Amino acid sequence: MMELINRVFGSRLGSKDDAKARLKLLLVHDQVDLSPAQLDSMKAEIIEVIGRYVEIDRDSVDFKLERSNGEIALVSNVPVRRVVARAV
Amino acid sequence: MSECIVITSGKGGVGKTTTSANLSVSLAMMGHKVAVVDADIGLRNLDVILGLENRIVYDLVHVIEGECRLKQALIRDKRLENLFLLPAAQTRDKSAVNPDQMRKLVEQLKAEFDYVVIDCPAGIEQGFKNSIAGADKAIIVTTPEVSAIRDADRIIGLVEAAELPEPRLIINRFRQKMVDRGDMLNKDDILEILAIPLIGVVPDHEDIIVSANRGAPVAFDDTSVVGEAYRRIARRVSGEADVPFVALQPVGFWENVKRWMGLSAKAGV
Repeated sequence: MMELINRVFGSRLGSKDDAKARLKLLLVHDQVDLSPAQLDSMKAEIIEVIGRYVEIDRDSVDFKLERSNGEIALVSNVPVRRVVARAV
Repeated sequence: MSECIVITSGKGGVGKTTTSANLSVSLAMMGHKVAVVDADIGLRNLDVILGLENRIVYDLVHVIEGECRLKQALIRDKRLENLFLLPAAQTRDKSAVNPDQMRKLVEQLKAEFDYVVIDCPAGIEQGFKNSIAGADKAIIVTTPEVSAIRDADRIIGLVEAAELPEPRLIINRFRQKMVDRGDMLNKDDILEILAIPLIGVVPDHEDIIVSANRGAPVAFDDTSVVGEAYRRIARRVSGEADVPFVALQPVGFWENVKRWMGLSAKAGV
C-alpha cells in the first residue's frame, strides 16, 4: 500500500542520487589506484597495528576512502574497548 | 595582453567544438580579435560548425610543415571580420604535430590576436598534449552524466599536472526539468565532485542542432537563450565580474511567442 502511495505521489528517489554515489566511489578508485583486495589487506594490517596498543572491537571497524574538494582521505572509525596497558 | 584558452573534456561528444565555436564568436562580437584553432587533426569539425568548410585551402599541418604562411591558412569569418579559423588537416593524424610546434604556433598567433581558442580533440593522448602545450588557461566542458564527469576529473588532474593554472568548468546540456525531478545531477552536485570554479551552464536546447545544421553558431542569435549563455561565458572569460547565469527554466509558451515576435531573449534571462 505504501509503495502504491509512494508511486502515485512520486516520492521515489531520483536517479541522480545513484549517479552521485557511483561517481564518488569511482573517482576515489580512479585516483587511488588500489584494488579492493589491496584495500582489504591495508585495512587488516592497520587493524593489526592498532590492536597491538589498544583493544578494539574488530567487527565494528569502519574504513572508507572519501573524497572532498579533490582531496582523498582515509576515514576510519575504530571503536576502542579498552586501552591495553602493555609494555611496548 | 593576449591569452590562449584550450577547450577540453576528455570524453568525446560533450560539446567541445560547439563551445569553442560559440566562445570564439562571442569574444569576437565583443570586439576582441580572435583566432580559433581546430586541433582535432584527422577529424576536423570546427570548420563545419562555423560554416567555413568551403573556404579551406591550407590547414594547421601545412603551416607547421612550412608549406604556407600562417596568414594564408587563417580563414576570416564572413560575418565577423575579427574572427579567424585555423582548420585542422583532415587527411593526417595527431602524430603530424608535436607539442613544441604547437607552442611556437600559439606564440605566433598570440602576437596577432587578443584570444587564441584551441578546440582540443577527445582523449588524453597526443592530440590532448598538443592542445594544452601552448595554452595559458583551460576550460573543461562536461555534461551532467557519470561518464563525462569521470573523464572531466581525469582531465582536470592532467591539466593541473601540466601547470595550467585553475581550470574552469562549463556544464553543458543542462536540463532543468530533469534536475527538478531528481533525475539529473545539479550544478552543486557537479561542483562538489569536480571542485573547480564554474564559468558557465549551457542549457540543452534544440537551437544547437539548428545552428549546427546551418553552420551559424547560436551565439550569433541574440534571441536564443543558449546563445545568451555563451555570450555570458565570453564576458566572464574576458574578466567581467558578477555576470549572472542565464535562467535555466524550460522555455514556456509566452517566451516562445515573444521570440516569434522577435523580442530578445535577453529580457527574460
